[in-house]
Amino acid sequence: MGWEEMQVRGYPEFVQTAQRYHGRPIFALFCGDKDAEGRSWCPDCVTAEPVVRKELHNLPDESIFIYCLVGDRAYWKDPNNEFRRNLKLTGVPTLLKYGTPQKLVEEECFKAELVRMLFTED
Amino acid sequence: EAAAETSQPVVSVREEHIGGHEETLKTHKEDNPEKPMEMNGLTPVPDSYDYDLIVIGGGSGGLAAAKEAAKYEKKVMVLDFVTPTPQGNSWGLGGTCVNVGCIPKKLMHQAALLGQALEDSRKFGWQFTEEVKHNWMTMTESVQNYIGSLNWGYRVALRDKKVTYENAYGEFVGPHTIKATNKKGVEKLYTAERFLIATGERPRYLGIPGDKEYCISSDDLFSLPYCPGKTLVVGASYVALECAGFLAGLGLDVTVMVRSILLRGFDQDMANKIGEYMKEHGVNFIREFVPIKIEQVEEGAPGRLKVTAKSTTGNQIIEEEYNTVLLAIGRDPCTRKIGLDKVGVNINEKTGKIPVNDEEQTNVPYIYAVGDILQDKLELTPVAIQAGRLLVRRLYAGATTKCDYVNVPTTVFTPLEYGACGYSEETAVEKFGEENIEVYHNHFWPLEWTVPSRDNNKCYAKIICNIQDNERVIGFHVLGPNAGEVTQGFAAAIKCGMTKEQLDSTVGIHPVCAEV
Repeated sequence: MGWEEMQVRGYPEFVQTAQRYHGRPIFALFCGDKDAEGRSWCPDCVTAEPVVRKELHNLPDESIFIYCLVGDRAYWKDPNNEFRRNLKLTGVPTLLKYGTPQKLVEEECFKAELVRMLFTED
Repeated sequence: EAAAETSQPVVSVREEHIGGHEETLKTHKEDNPEKPMEMNGLTPVPDSYDYDLIVIGGGSGGLAAAKEAAKYEKKVMVLDFVTPTPQGNSWGLGGTCVNVGCIPKKLMHQAALLGQALEDSRKFGWQFTEEVKHNWMTMTESVQNYIGSLNWGYRVALRDKKVTYENAYGEFVGPHTIKATNKKGVEKLYTAERFLIATGERPRYLGIPGDKEYCISSDDLFSLPYCPGKTLVVGASYVALECAGFLAGLGLDVTVMVRSILLRGFDQDMANKIGEYMKEHGVNFIREFVPIKIEQVEEGAPGRLKVTAKSTTGNQIIEEEYNTVLLAIGRDPCTRKIGLDKVGVNINEKTGKIPVNDEEQTNVPYIYAVGDILQDKLELTPVAIQAGRLLVRRLYAGATTKCDYVNVPTTVFTPLEYGACGYSEETAVEKFGEENIEVYHNHFWPLEWTVPSRDNNKCYAKIICNIQDNERVIGFHVLGPNAGEVTQGFAAAIKCGMTKEQLDSTVGIHPVCAEV
C-alpha cells in the first residue's frame, strides 16, 4: 500500500493525527512555521527537509509520515510549549519514529544515511 | 565453473574455485581450508581484507574500540548478537552494562533510595497522608525507555562514524575469516586484518532440575514485565547483593541464599558490614545452603515456585515457596562457541577466559581481546573502555600507553554503598606483612541521617597504609551514601601516590561524609 503523508500544524492536530493511525508505523518531522513565501524561520529545518523528503521512498509499507509545523519562533522558544513538555522535543528539526526512543535531532537530520537508517531499520 | 554454480555466494580463493554456498561453508567447516590451497602452493591468507578491524561484541569494550578506530579512518565492522535467555529475553546494541548491568541496576537502586528518602522526608517536615507504594511496571518502563534511547544512540554514533554494524553472531571459520549469522539464519563471510574479541559474559545457571525453566537471572530482571514478588536471590556476588538490596528497598520480601562467604574477592571486613546492614534492613539471609531442586507450584506472572535446598555443612534439607528465583552465582565468558579453535586462540579451558599479554594481544598476533573475558583482569566497564581505546591508539596512532589495571576504583551499590580502591586488608597483609601496614578507620554518621534517626554506627571508612613506603595509602574503603562519588576523587589521589601525611594535611569539606 506504500506510505501516506499528513501535514499538520500545532500540537493538538499532531496528537489527533497520530492517534487516528495508531497501529501503523508513524514517522514525524517537526519543523518551524513557514512564512507566506514558504520559508521557515528555522534555518536547520530548511536544510533538513529536502534531505528527509529524498529518503521518504524508503519508508516501510503502511507507514504514515506526519509533517508537523510546530509554531512560530516565540512559541518554540518557550521552554514549556507542549512539544517540549509532552513529546520531550529538544530542538527543531526533529525526525522521529513515534512511540519509540528512535529520533534524529537538528544536524543529524542533514545526514541521508541516518535518515535512511531511521526509516528502514528496527 | 563459476557460472555453472547454482547457489550464492560463489567463492574463489586466489583463483582456486571452491564452489557455491554449500561447498564454501563445507570447506570452512570440515576441511582445513589451508589444505587444498597449500597443496597448490598458495598461502591460505587473503591479501586484501574486507575490513581493517572486525570487533566481535558491541558492548563497552567493543564499541569504544570501534569508535576510536574509526577516528583514524580505519574500515571497521562491529558484530553484536544477543543469544536470548532461557526465558526468551533479548536486547539491543550496547552490551551488558547498558542493557542488563550497570545502567538499569543503578536506576533501580536509585528507585529504592528514593523510597527511603520519602520515608525520611516526613521527619524533615514533608506531609503526605497517602501510603507510599511502588509500581514495578512504571519503573521498568521508564528504565527500558532510557535504555532504548541508548541503544539507538549507539547505532547513530556507529553509522555516523561509518562503522558497519551487523546484528549477527560472529564466529571464526578460518584465518582472518569470520562467519556472521543473523537472526534469520542468513550467513555471510567477512575477512579482516585484525580482530578484537569483546564478547563479554552471561549468567551461569546452577545445573539443577528446574533452573533454566523457572529461574531468572539479571539478564531478565531489569525488563521483567511483572513485579517479581517474594524473591529468592541465589548467590553472594555483588550482582546478588545489589539486586537483593534494591528489591527489598522497593518493598518486596527478599531472601538471599549464600553458599559460603559474601563478596568473594572483596575486603571481607567490609563485606560482612554490608551483609549486617542488609539483614537489619529487611533482607533475609540463608547461609551455607545451596538449592538442589526448583519446582513450579503455580503458573503465573509471577507464579509460585518451590525451592528445595541442602546444607553445605550437613544433611539438612529445607523447602520454601517464592514467586521468583533470581540466580546470581557468577558469569561465564562467551568464548566457547565462537570458533577460537579454528584460529588457534588459547583460552583457559576451565574458566573460558582468554589470557592476553599487557597489550591485550592473544597468542595469535592479529587477534586481540578486551573486557570481562580477559583472564586476571577486573570486570568493569571503564576498564574495558580504557583498554579498548588505548589498544586502538597503539595499533593505529603510534601510541605506546598501555592500560593500567592497578588502583582501579570500584563501587558496590548495595543499600549501604561500598566504594574501594587499591588493596583489601587481607591482600595487603598477605603482600606486605601485618607488621608493615597500618590501618586507620572511623565510623561516621552522615548529617542527613541524624534528623530521621537513621543508624549512627553503620557508615565506616578505612585506609590501609604501607609503613615502609612513607605510609603511602595503598587501600581505600568507604561504606556510606554516595560511596561512588566519594571514592572517585580519592582514586586519583592514590594514583598520584598520596601518603597518610598528605591525606591528613588535606582540609576536609564540612559537613560531608568524605571529610572523615
